[in-house]
Amino acid sequence: MDFSLDYTEEQERFAVEVRKWLDDNVPKDFKPIRDAQKMSYEQFQLGRSFARKLGQKGWLYPTYPREYGGGGLETAKTLVINEELAKRNMALPIVTDWTTLCAPAIMACATDEQKKRYLPPMLRGEALTWQLMTEPEAGTDEANQQTNALRHQRDKDHFIINGQKIFVGGLWPPPEQFYLLTRSSLEAPRHQNLSSFIIPANLPGITIQPLDLFPLSTFAAVSGPSGATSEAVKNSVFFDNVRVHESCLIGNEGDGWKVTNATFAVEHGGGGLARIPRNYIADKFLVQCKNNPVISRRLKDNPHLIDSVVNIYIYAEVDRLLSLRNGAGKGGAYGGPQLMVFEKHGGAQVAADMAAVLGPYAFADEGDWVLDEGIFEVGERCGICQAPGGTPEAMKIIISRGLSIGR
Amino acid sequence: MALDLNLSESEEMLKKTALDFIRRETPHDVLKKLLETDTGITDSLWAKTVEMGWPGILVPESYGGIGSTLTSAGVLFEALGSAPLPGPHFSSGILGSLIVEAAGSEEQKKSLLAAISEGQVIATLALTEPDYSWEPGPLRATATAGSGDFVLDGTKLFVMDAQAATHLIVVARTREEADPARGLSLFMVDKKTPGVSLRQVPGFLTGRSFEVKLQAVKVPRSALLGEADGGWPLLQEAIAKAIPVLCAYKVGACQALCELAVEYSRVRVQFGMPIGRFQRVQDMIIQMVTHTDAARWITYETLWKLDTGLPAQESVHLAKAVASEAYWQVVTLAHQVFSGISYSREHTVSFHTRGSRSLYNFLGEPAHHRQKLGKLLTRN
Repeated sequence: MDFSLDYTEEQERFAVEVRKWLDDNVPKDFKPIRDAQKMSYEQFQLGRSFARKLGQKGWLYPTYPREYGGGGLETAKTLVINEELAKRNMALPIVTDWTTLCAPAIMACATDEQKKRYLPPMLRGEALTWQLMTEPEAGTDEANQQTNALRHQRDKDHFIINGQKIFVGGLWPPPEQFYLLTRSSLEAPRHQNLSSFIIPANLPGITIQPLDLFPLSTFAAVSGPSGATSEAVKNSVFFDNVRVHESCLIGNEGDGWKVTNATFAVEHGGGGLARIPRNYIADKFLVQCKNNPVISRRLKDNPHLIDSVVNIYIYAEVDRLLSLRNGAGKGGAYGGPQLMVFEKHGGAQVAADMAAVLGPYAFADEGDWVLDEGIFEVGERCGICQAPGGTPEAMKIIISRGLSIGR
Repeated sequence: MALDLNLSESEEMLKKTALDFIRRETPHDVLKKLLETDTGITDSLWAKTVEMGWPGILVPESYGGIGSTLTSAGVLFEALGSAPLPGPHFSSGILGSLIVEAAGSEEQKKSLLAAISEGQVIATLALTEPDYSWEPGPLRATATAGSGDFVLDGTKLFVMDAQAATHLIVVARTREEADPARGLSLFMVDKKTPGVSLRQVPGFLTGRSFEVKLQAVKVPRSALLGEADGGWPLLQEAIAKAIPVLCAYKVGACQALCELAVEYSRVRVQFGMPIGRFQRVQDMIIQMVTHTDAARWITYETLWKLDTGLPAQESVHLAKAVASEAYWQVVTLAHQVFSGISYSREHTVSFHTRGSRSLYNFLGEPAHHRQKLGKLLTRN
């Protein structure tokens, strides 16, 4: 076995090229921050313009085939791009973009003609995409779709969409397009009654309404450092007689559940090792446990708090190694959802342990002692907001299937 | 990035050979009898493991062993743990040989490592005492230097594999120092020496746990491993290398229990359906699997760090804390998945129960290693 993540000679040569390109192309005024809720409109636009530059270079979605606008690179090089970005506090795809979940479904289920039409603008960063899946009555039971996309009675090549999606996106402004799951038949049996679409986000009859939510964050996950991984703002989207042409389908009418499962496969932890796993917050916290005089004094006054420090270290190490295992292709049929459950449950515990060590500083958002922009505040909320990407309970059902128990 | 988490071809071979050996030599009823003995081994079985080269797996070839990496030893012990195969395989072949290698003089290494590899010497560590601790402070056993010999006195408690062993590696105080980690020496004591007596510790530990009394035990000067007074740091060095191999044994045990539980949940029918359909049963199995996976990858990364000479101090403590907790929890959960049937001493799950408790403390329980980790993580 070899757990080494040091660059190979070939990777090092590529890294030199990447560093040079980043020096020349990262917008000078762009200041990536982790808490996307605090990202200004101007900063968001700078992030997008940089994403487009990466897209033109083929480095925004590096592993996709060149003919579809990707970079045609192997995972080892994608890892270098992400690592060099991480040193600058960024991660692919720079700003939150559900192309990460939609493009794999297009690759798996779309026709050749659809792939050539849909993918290039997405993979080049020109068409930002939001995923519209969850509904008020379709949370964990995702197939229970109530948003109808029904064939127009006269114009048979058009669908009319009516309904409501929730927990969508996404910072303002709205993206170019939606990746949309709908119910396209009122008669067909469950799972066969669904269709997936790519539609423009500005069609008449679409209303986007921001939700007033606790920020949702991947605080506990071994993830990249940028706003790209932070989902601070979410919306409801309403459809009122929205008319779309059948050329907006992914695959064929009735393929919706197949398309959705291709997305789930990625969302629940598929793919190779595209970045070096590390938990930036735990790392920062552990450095502070050695150096910050306030924390040192608290640990001295309350020696049992050291147990919380050890808990966080153990959590971060297991998290890192399970990620590495998945990235190395050794996660089996359950490794992805297992890691999600571990991070969701573990994240809540990490937040509690950090709060124990830091006291009220953990929840406050200003002062010299802030370790990252209000990250403990976000982290504690993360311990509460466990739903994004699927609840831990839903993930356990998937793990059980992966282990071949329960059926 | 050379990341590769697969076993090498030779490690795969080693694993297969070990699993074949266990299936052939220790079928269920044989294993049950072995687990009920106070040695965990028979002479003929020991001779066969010697033939396979297991007691010398870590001993350098120049000293008569196989000279494998710690990772390979981990692969072997993961296979042994899956049975779980009892006996002094770890005590002598891993910990014993590592202590001799770390502390012994060149001459001692030549004779003792060859003898351990050939299975003639079975060595085990006699460290902890009635004032139980893995720290040097409470150690009271003494070795007094005479003319050309030492006289050992004291009591060692929870000595693993003392009955199977031919030799005890006794940690004794040769000099009183302000720092309790100084003035300790290591002695290779032939168990037949007058004044050595053994008593099995009664209770729920494996039958391989003993009290060893040393009463005016006179050993020749050559029994002192290396130099006098400086034994503790060398012992710690050996224990640090041995710990992840022991963890691999627990990983193998956990993995086997997970597989048993998954299989049982498919075939055991209650209320007209396999119990694996019940989400509370699924929850228990998922917990078992995650404990196992956490222990597995921490263990193998630690072995890799030690093999490649990377700093591994934190990793060793982490591995022992996580793997000990994992084995304890996985056994407990397996009992809940199997419920009634697994309380039978005939049942494979019950083969693990006492071992998971004994190995929880052996070479330091999680509390010990968490405390060590806490110091490393918070001390500037």
